[in-house]
Amino acid sequence: MGVRDVLFGRKKLKDPARERLFAISTARITLESELDLKPAGAGGVCFKSLSAGEFVRAENDLQELLDAVAGQSGSKVERHTDDMGFEWIVIRDGDFEDLVATVHTVAQEFQDRGFGPQLLAAVFPFEGKFKEGRMYWIYGFKRGTFWPFVPTGKDQERDNAEELELKAKLEQELPIEPDLTRWFGIFNAPL
Amino acid sequence: MKRKAYGRDAGLTMRMLLTSFLLGLLYVGFALVLFYVFNAGLFLMLVIVVGLGVFQYFTSDKLALRASGAKVVTPEEAPQLHAMIERLAAMAELQKPRVAIVDTDVPNAFATGRNQKHAVVAVTRGLWERLDEKEIEGVLAHELTHIANRDVLVMTVASFFAMLAALLTRWGLYAGMFGGFGGSRDNNNNSVPVWLIVIAVSFVTYILSWILIRTISRYREYAADRGSALITGAPEYLMSALQKISSQMTLIPQKDLREVEGMSAFFIIPTSLKGSISELFMDHPPLEKRLAALEEIAREMGRPVA
Repeated sequence: MGVRDVLFGRKKLKDPARERLFAISTARITLESELDLKPAGAGGVCFKSLSAGEFVRAENDLQELLDAVAGQSGSKVERHTDDMGFEWIVIRDGDFEDLVATVHTVAQEFQDRGFGPQLLAAVFPFEGKFKEGRMYWIYGFKRGTFWPFVPTGKDQERDNAEELELKAKLEQELPIEPDLTRWFGIFNAPL
Repeated sequence: MKRKAYGRDAGLTMRMLLTSFLLGLLYVGFALVLFYVFNAGLFLMLVIVVGLGVFQYFTSDKLALRASGAKVVTPEEAPQLHAMIERLAAMAELQKPRVAIVDTDVPNAFATGRNQKHAVVAVTRGLWERLDEKEIEGVLAHELTHIANRDVLVMTVASFFAMLAALLTRWGLYAGMFGGFGGSRDNNNNSVPVWLIVIAVSFVTYILSWILIRTISRYREYAADRGSALITGAPEYLMSALQKISSQMTLIPQKDLREVEGMSAFFIIPTSLKGSISELFMDHPPLEKRLAALEEIAREMGRPVA
C-alpha cells in the first residue's frame, strides 16, 4: 500500500495465501484412516457478491471463469446464491485431490481477474463419524488457515469439544487457525 | 461445626502451612515497622481495618452475590439444580446451601458464605447449558468442598492484612500530600519523610501478601478438587468439566462467518471480548496441574482415566 493509498483511504485487502489450501489433500488420509471422516464429494468457494458498479463485467467474468474451470478439470461446477446473499461456486468431484485442485483453480481465477479480496472461504464437507451429519473444514483465504466446524444440526449450535479434538489431531498436518476467536462457522452451506 | 477431612495429601498440607507461616511472618514484620515508624494512629487504624474485615466476613455472601449478579433461586425455579445440590450436600455431610444462578454464557461456578448456614453455591447459565449432568456434579462437589473447608474464612483472614496494607499505602499517599501524620514528622529528623517509608513498606507488603494469598488460594483449589473427587467418587467428570470450562472452548464464536464478514466495515472493537474468562481463573492453579493431580487421585481410587 503506497503513501497515496493511505492518504486517500484506498486500503487494499491482503492477497489471500492460497498455497496452503493443498494441505487438506494430504490431511484427508489421516481424517479417513484415523477419524473415520470421508470427503463428501463436494467443495464450495464462498465469496461476497460484487458491487453493482462492476456487476456486468463481473457477471461475464464469472461465467468465463466457470467455463474455464469446467474445461480444465473433470469436476462439475455450479453456482448458487445462499439465503444470506453470498455467492457460492460449488464443485462436485469424487476424487478429493481433483476437488481440491479445482477449488484452487477457482481461487486462482478469482485472483487473476482481480476479485481476490471478494473471496471469503472454501468449505470441505466430510461425513462418516458424526451421526448428526457432516463436519466441515473451513479454509479462510485471507489468512490461509483451516478450522474445523461441527454443527450439531440444532439451529446455530456446534460441537466445540469435537472441534478442539479435531484441532489436536490434525495440528501436525493442517495449518490450523491458532486464534480460536476466528473460528466462525458457516451454517447451511449450499453443498 | 463438624469438620471432615477430605482425603490426605501430606505434601499439600506442608506447603499450605509453610505459606501461611510466611504470610504470618510478613505481617509481623510489617506491624513492627509500622509501630516503630509511627506509633500514634496505629490503634485507630487497626480498629478501622478490623471493622472492615469483620464487615467483609459477615457480608461475604451478599457481597459476592451482588458483585456477580447472581440471583438466589427457589427449588420451584430450578428443581434439577436444587435436587443435585441437596444430594451432594448430603454426601458431603453438609447442610444444604442456598442456590443461585448467574445469567451469563461463560461457564463458571462459585461458593461463598462465612459458614454452612450462610453458604451459597452459584452456577452460571453457561455452566448449566454447556456441561452434562455428571460434570456439573463434579463442579458442584468442588464448590461444596470449599464450604466444608471454610475457605471463605481462610481467605478473609489471609487477605485481611493485604487490605490493611493497601489501605495504608493510600492513606500514606494522602497524608504525604496533605501535610504528613500530625506531629510525627516534627519529631523526626531523618531526611526521608515518614510517609514515604510507610508507603514503601505498605506497598511491598501488599505485593508480597498478594502473591502469598494467591498461593494459598491455589492450594485450597487443589484441596477442593480432591474433595470433589471423594464426594462424587468419579474425578474423571470433574476433569472433563475443567477441560470444558477452561478458556479454549468458550473462545470459539457462535456467529456465522458471513454475518461477521457482512458487517466487518463497522467493526471497531475486535469481534470477541472473551478475555475476562481467564481472569476468573487467575486464582486457580494451571489446568494441566489440576488435571494431573486429579488423575493421580483417580488412579488411587482405581477409576478409569480418560
